[in-house]
Amino acid sequence: MRYVKWAFWTVIVLVVGGFLHYTLPQHDIVRVVGTYQERQDLTDWTRIFWSTPDDQSGTLTNRDVQFIQAIRANGKPMVYRNEDTGWRWPPYFKFDTATLQTQADDLRSTAEAPKWAVVTHYGWRNQFLSIFPNAVGIRPVAGPDVRIIPWVNIVILGGLLVLILLIRAMWRQFRERTIEPLIDEAADKWDELGDRAEAMDGKARGFWARLVGRGRK
Amino acid sequence: MIGFLRCAVFGLGALAVLFWLVRIYARSLRREALEKHWARESAAGVDLGPCDAYVEAGMQDYEHGLMRRLVWLVFILPIVIFAVVVFVMNYR
Repeated sequence: MRYVKWAFWTVIVLVVGGFLHYTLPQHDIVRVVGTYQERQDLTDWTRIFWSTPDDQSGTLTNRDVQFIQAIRANGKPMVYRNEDTGWRWPPYFKFDTATLQTQADDLRSTAEAPKWAVVTHYGWRNQFLSIFPNAVGIRPVAGPDVRIIPWVNIVILGGLLVLILLIRAMWRQFRERTIEPLIDEAADKWDELGDRAEAMDGKARGFWARLVGRGRK
Repeated sequence: MIGFLRCAVFGLGALAVLFWLVRIYARSLRREALEKHWARESAAGVDLGPCDAYVEAGMQDYEHGLMRRLVWLVFILPIVIFAVVVFVMNYR
């Protein structure tokens, strides 16, 4: 039973943690080396890793997607997709894909004369599934080792914690002030009913005894 | 446009549920505080009249007070955050 409990909580932590890791913004310090646009087929299950920028794109089997190619500060390559999130999940409300692509093009540089930039993105890169993180913002920075404090994540995770504590407090208040009095009342009723049943039982026995003519005289 | 409407309907629906829950919770906290205050004062020998009447009078004040109105922040804060996010994402 203990293993079932552990397995249950492990799965919960993995799912919630994975969801947050995918959805919350992250920052990469990169050097943009190029941008391209490629037609993507969107008919298998990996569709969930691509955006639905508007309502008609929900029914398309393929469409063009813009990409930003970059080299990270540690020298490893990274490719971002650049798609509108629209009014859908995740709630970045991004509509400036074309602007972002222009900014990325403007920051393009070579290894010899690098221009460093911070790309804000969400999502995962996976070569086997051919999925890409979605870039949501880009801005130039002084060098490859600037320190970035993730204020947005701090605020969101803090807010989430406050929400969870609020719901817990609400539930406790509800239990203390509404459910427990009801249970007490029900228990009182039950006792009362038990007493009455006993009294009835005693009466019935007396009646039976009188009828048969045995018992107390 | 349909996308925006869907977002607004679901968002406002979720906020309405949260608002309703927080309102009940805040009211319950106030009532409990009034009951506890009455019990404390009575134990100290102060006469505040019958408990029910005292609590009901206190709740009447609460229904017209500032604290109850602050619950509207449940709607206002997320909508402000929403507007700021849309602005920062697309115009900065």
